[in-house]
Amino acid sequence: MGSFDWRVIQNNLPFLMQGLLTTFQLALVGISGGFLLGILVGMARLSSIKVIYYPATAFVNVTRSLPLILVIFWFYFLVPVLLGRSIGDFSSACVAFVAFEAAYFAEIVRAGIQSVSTGQMQAAYSTGFDYRLTMRYIIVPQALRNMQPSLLTQSVIAFQDTSLAYVIGLNEFLHSASIVDAREMRSVELYTLVGVVYFLICFEMSMLAKRLEAKKGHGQ
Amino acid sequence: MIKIKNISKWYGDFMVLNNINETIERGQVVVICGPSGSGKSTMLKCLNGLEKFQQGDIIVDGTSLKDPATDLIKLRQKMGMVFQRFELYPHLKVIDNITIAPVKVKKIPIRDAIQRGIELLERVGIPEQADKYPGNLSGGQQQRVAIARALAMDPEIMLFDEPTSALDPEMIKEVLEVMTDLARSGMTMIVVTHEMGFAREVANEIIFMDEGRIIERGTDKTFFTSPKTERAKDFLNKILL
Repeated sequence: MGSFDWRVIQNNLPFLMQGLLTTFQLALVGISGGFLLGILVGMARLSSIKVIYYPATAFVNVTRSLPLILVIFWFYFLVPVLLGRSIGDFSSACVAFVAFEAAYFAEIVRAGIQSVSTGQMQAAYSTGFDYRLTMRYIIVPQALRNMQPSLLTQSVIAFQDTSLAYVIGLNEFLHSASIVDAREMRSVELYTLVGVVYFLICFEMSMLAKRLEAKKGHGQ
Repeated sequence: MIKIKNISKWYGDFMVLNNINETIERGQVVVICGPSGSGKSTMLKCLNGLEKFQQGDIIVDGTSLKDPATDLIKLRQKMGMVFQRFELYPHLKVIDNITIAPVKVKKIPIRDAIQRGIELLERVGIPEQADKYPGNLSGGQQQRVAIARALAMDPEIMLFDEPTSALDPEMIKEVLEVMTDLARSGMTMIVVTHEMGFAREVANEIIFMDEGRIIERGTDKTFFTSPKTERAKDFLNKILL
């Protein structure tokens, strides 16, 4: 035990915290942007209009068949080609995350809407509701409640996945720890810190998902 | 008030409705019975446009359902419907289940809608359940809330799709009582049911369907005492045992 030197963390705290902040920012953009885009794509997946259904379905199937690390790489090299200039590693990672997570969130949204029985839709229609009112007041509120646990689980995964952005040199939490490690040679201490921080955050979110699931079971 | 003219409907190759004709006058109570899979519920759902039909036409108060220009949303506002599995909104309290359509569709002030909702709950005998969620009510209570929800839009016609067949026997009576009251108040009602006691008491006409066709129709007396077809005789023997 005597060979551990935890001062390495104390000494590099501002740099590591900067990395953690980047991780949080990337997760926030990826999860909220992915969710919003996912709602649209998920509803498009249920559309009976072919020009809406097919592109959305193709997007979901292709994206979900690719490893995230490839998508991150791909956007990093593709965007400068398309725009003629680089948008920086953070923005590039954000675009990749939003697109990638949207495909997963879309499937959760689609399944959530489908989990509400058609009888509910018929009941709403029978009282004179149109499609918009039915979705807004009857279907989506129930669907959202049904999907809460899956949404949180996917968010936990998305949060962990932000560490993959190190491949394009983005200074997120894990990458900042490895930079410090390269200089200070304190792998055990640094990676233990990273592990503990990831564990605490993700474990809390998983617990929350579990509580929501239990609550959902009661409400029905 | 409702004229069903030669309607037929197919699911793929399978014919669910075969040339149905029927006229229903204002204030009439019509009971539709028949074995499961005979097309009763499908026909009922054609009346308010929840199901489409491929041939024929249905005229409700002079409005053709076949006409693509017909505003089904508007038409449904004067036709209440009660479902076999209640279909109350589980995320809304009982009172909100009843008031949401008047408030969102008819733009009735929330205060008035709540007052009317309580009156309707009194009418179906459960005003004390207003602030509960549907999941905490018994089946019979849920179905009575569903009737109140349909009545909240002040419909001229009420459609009932096997309203008691998902209920325990002791709860059937409380729902039938509400329906009998409604029939006596002069509501036009079309009821898919096997409750022959109810049919005997309030129906002006009983329709017997089999394999997508109306194969027998009659007033309560003629239908029960002297069914003309073997199929109806057979069916009555089974359910009246």
